[in-house]
Amino acid sequence: MGEDAGDRGSSADGLAPVGLPMAETSPKAEAAKLLPFLALGERADLQAAAAQHVLALSGSGPGRTLLAGQAALLQALVELAVAPPPAPARDAARALVNLAADPGLHKPLLAAEPRLPVRLLGCALDPHWPWAEEAAAVLANLSREPVPCAALTEALAATEPGESGLERLVRALCTPGYNARAPLHYLGPVLSNLSQRPATRAFLLDRNRCVVQRLLTLTQYPDSSVRRGGVVGTLRNCCFEHRHHEWLLGPEVDILPFLLLPLAGPEDFSEEEMERLPIDLQYLPPDKQREPDADIRKMLIETIMLLTATAPGRKQVRDQGAYLILRELHSWEPEPDVRVTCEKLIQVLIGDEPERGLENLLEVQVPEEIERQLQQQDHQEREQCEREQQELELGPGPQAEKAAST
Amino acid sequence: MEQQDPGTTFDDGMDSFVEKFQSQPYRGGFHESQWEEEFEKIPLFMKNSPSEIDPLENPDLACLQSIIFDEERSPEDQARTYKDEGNDYFKEKDYKKAVISYTEGLKKKCTDPDLNAILYTNRAAAQYYLGNFRSSLNDVMAARKLRPCHLKAIIRGASCHLELKNYVEAVNWCDEGLQIDATEKKLLDLRAKADKLKRTEQRDIRKAKLKEKKKQDQNEALLQAIKARNIRLVAEAAGEDEDSASEGLSELVLYGLSSENPCGARLSVDDQGRLSWPVLFLYPEYAQSDLVSAFHEDSRFIDHLMVMFGETPSWDLEQKYCPDNLEVYFEDEDREELYCVPPSSTLLQVLQHPRYFVKALTPTFLVCVGSSGFCRNYLRGKKVHQGQAFPASWLGRSCCLLELQPLGSDRRALAGLHFALLLLSSVPCL
Repeated sequence: MGEDAGDRGSSADGLAPVGLPMAETSPKAEAAKLLPFLALGERADLQAAAAQHVLALSGSGPGRTLLAGQAALLQALVELAVAPPPAPARDAARALVNLAADPGLHKPLLAAEPRLPVRLLGCALDPHWPWAEEAAAVLANLSREPVPCAALTEALAATEPGESGLERLVRALCTPGYNARAPLHYLGPVLSNLSQRPATRAFLLDRNRCVVQRLLTLTQYPDSSVRRGGVVGTLRNCCFEHRHHEWLLGPEVDILPFLLLPLAGPEDFSEEEMERLPIDLQYLPPDKQREPDADIRKMLIETIMLLTATAPGRKQVRDQGAYLILRELHSWEPEPDVRVTCEKLIQVLIGDEPERGLENLLEVQVPEEIERQLQQQDHQEREQCEREQQELELGPGPQAEKAAST
Repeated sequence: MEQQDPGTTFDDGMDSFVEKFQSQPYRGGFHESQWEEEFEKIPLFMKNSPSEIDPLENPDLACLQSIIFDEERSPEDQARTYKDEGNDYFKEKDYKKAVISYTEGLKKKCTDPDLNAILYTNRAAAQYYLGNFRSSLNDVMAARKLRPCHLKAIIRGASCHLELKNYVEAVNWCDEGLQIDATEKKLLDLRAKADKLKRTEQRDIRKAKLKEKKKQDQNEALLQAIKARNIRLVAEAAGEDEDSASEGLSELVLYGLSSENPCGARLSVDDQGRLSWPVLFLYPEYAQSDLVSAFHEDSRFIDHLMVMFGETPSWDLEQKYCPDNLEVYFEDEDREELYCVPPSSTLLQVLQHPRYFVKALTPTFLVCVGSSGFCRNYLRGKKVHQGQAFPASWLGRSCCLLELQPLGSDRRALAGLHFALLLLSSVPCL
């Protein structure tokens, strides 16, 4: 603990309460000493120093374990995280982000403060709260695990007059400038984690509302891969709902162009090819960039793959020109595992349901190299397909990203 | 009814009233012959109300009207009446009258903001059906100032934005409305429609941009091709100041490349990178002209002349314009000198002549019959070059012209040149 304190400058000295002997060096006791200074109502500068100290502790594994053992300290930390200025809410929140990143600490965290999800949710969705992003990051980390996820869902379900918590969360995510002081990118992963639960998916896919449609444009959101990843993860989870595929692919939602657009580059298609593409993919400018994050690219391909699970879905995906985009993506794709995923999808699209136009593509467009590779991996793919089949039956998975404190 | 004594009951009075008519006829009834018309005049039974109420014709109606529109009633009541009137007109699809009624209602400036918001919203609806989308939008915004959450106003506003092609605004208004009622079907439909139209519009913009870029690239390539061949170009508008000539030239040329001359011909390049020009042939003797829309730069004059004069043209009165007799010239306007073009040369060879300036991207040549009197007169007033750059094989043919000296202005020659100039200036559309 001493080294950490040293990094923080002279704050450590300022912390040692006058009169107490410095001989007590057990980390637990040291940590306990911080407690009084974290209390609400303490002097702001002492609070700030104590919070920084805790933040430093939370940066290391042993430090986190230490903090996890101190319920009172955790409680105080939470109080600080939601307290108005001059309290060091930001550092307290960042410490919580680090703590929540460790799934083993969720239990003590929630034990220390059962209302943690509720309170942080209030902060995250408060348009005037300056540390809403940090609060959202804690929730993103927490909601990866089923127990806190359930708690968060409950907190959201408590309906306020007129607007449910989930509606508000989507609104906060989709409205630019919802919070003038916090960008709220981490609401993306929060939503993605929440979409593991059927109730959330039911809300997102409600045909009488306009929810999933508002998320679609965010697949192109340029300023944050966290937000993009969260949205794409949400869409992927939603696409596990086979019953909704026709609606999703149809004109009321029209999900496919928004999944293909980040995968498309500045290709120069012929006039005839161009007319086969969805409107949003036609005549893309020469400076069009593909999605830079490989994980997100993979998730996009997986989402489209889910949409091809049914025969009518396959037809719709084919008819909307997905093959053209994926073909170009495959020749560009630098990451091997993304390329393999792309190949698999292409195989589904040009698979054995023959269509007039498609037969020509089989003869002409598929490069020999791909054909050879596919034949080689046939055996491997069968195994992998079985595994994937099992995964599909079990249900959607959690967001693969971890929010970390900066 | 007759007056009753307070003592008698109604029935007693009724009996005596009815009995009276056993002896006396009832005077207050309809006339048998025109009872239907009179029936129509009673306000209660009217099927259609007259657009103007004449107190003499319809005293009852006038009476009712004055009760409804009594100035002494409160502004709220009056406004409400106007609103109802407007709504009635609206139902009859008489939107113009509806607007007037609603306007009257708003003029009352009553203090009920709900009523005013409704008046604005209803007037907006009438304006919408009249196609006055801007006015409708203004009314809706006024309504929202009074009642920001008035859903009908929001729906109307979104529809107006859609009609005005403000797709982004339309979607924003729909989202605002959906915050108030997340399941409002009209808003959901409007939003989906506006979103799709917005995306289509964006596609159209991208398409146009790409087309424009392609065109510019093509024009740039053509310009480069011309430059590479060292062909000199001249802008149409001579007489503009010299400084802007050079910078303006490439723009004018590019503009000229994009526009076509009235006959639809323009400079083009083929797959091998060879140019084809629209070429104008002038026949000053008869004030005629021919336009070759795509004269390939590697083809020879004689080849074209053979085709053009395969049959003698109708204006060739003396039937002397045969390919063998023809002589082709181009004019160096600056120095007012003519150069003879050997018919066996290709277009490219001539265009590359140091004194050849292509005007308005349409090379022009003068053609006349060498041995004719006209030609001799025509050439007399000018210095004529036999073109040293051309191959020597033709030298023998035109040596007669070498003897011609400028003898002073010849009116006919001048007229011919004047005509040629007129033609040249009328051709392209710079």
